[in-house]
Amino acid sequence: MPSAEAMLNIGLSHYLFLSAILFSMGLIAVLMRKNVIVMLMGIELMLNAVNLSFIAFASQNGNLNGHIMVFFVMTIAAAEAGVGLALAVAIYKKYHELNIRFFEHLRG
Amino acid sequence: MIWEAIGFYSLAIFLIYFAYKTISATNPVHSALYLVLTMMGLAAIFYNLGAHFIAGVQMIVYAGAVMVLFVMVLMLFDLKAEIRAFTRGMFSGLVKVMAAGVLAGLVIGSAKNSVVVVETGAPGQMQAGVDVSRQLGILLYTKYLYAFELLGVLLLVVAVGVVAVSRMKGGTHAQR
Repeated sequence: MPSAEAMLNIGLSHYLFLSAILFSMGLIAVLMRKNVIVMLMGIELMLNAVNLSFIAFASQNGNLNGHIMVFFVMTIAAAEAGVGLALAVAIYKKYHELNIRFFEHLRG
Repeated sequence: MIWEAIGFYSLAIFLIYFAYKTISATNPVHSALYLVLTMMGLAAIFYNLGAHFIAGVQMIVYAGAVMVLFVMVLMLFDLKAEIRAFTRGMFSGLVKVMAAGVLAGLVIGSAKNSVVVVETGAPGQMQAGVDVSRQLGILLYTKYLYAFELLGVLLLVVAVGVVAVSRMKGGTHAQR
């Protein structure tokens, strides 16, 4: 158990712990849920957790390259959400349900 | 120091609670709204860490645009059959949660043992006394200019691809 002083002195490791917790919550959402849209939300949660660790390292090191990387990750995440939602619409059009198990029927 | 700790812990509890609600809410619309709150908490943490521009972009792009897109697509669907769609089976669910726990343990352990390397004089080093957003803009349009332009090309390709995918065999309300 860390000492009270280490608990109160907020540093890099606190932000990294928070980032790891959020990342594994997103991972649980992707693994446990069967709804495609909630799985996409889990992916967004994971990307945000990684962004948090980028920003924490950037502010620790006084370096701006992490901010640039977060900017790029956000753009890619927006693009990925668009493609994922289009695939969800494609599933729903055919089966009128949003379950991930219908993805295997999407070929052709 | 004590106020910093109080701020961090209250934000962390906020974030973890709403992330838990996001992944456990049975209704996907509730999930989306809890995820908006999580994004806002993350924006507050980014602001706390001195990344003011990134905090603004987080609010506008994530809490604004991406989540509105999610909710709009959810409104297109009839979700009555989808209210409860968790993984089936106690055993496989337990294995999945344990796998996520092992991953979290690995990440936390490596974060505890990681060495923070500071390269002084490397490009992108923050200068004291100059606005962070200004430095970020200068870096984005000089060193990372080509990456930025490629990102624009990627967004164009994705926009065309999304339109092509969603126009396959008539829109959302195609005949069964």
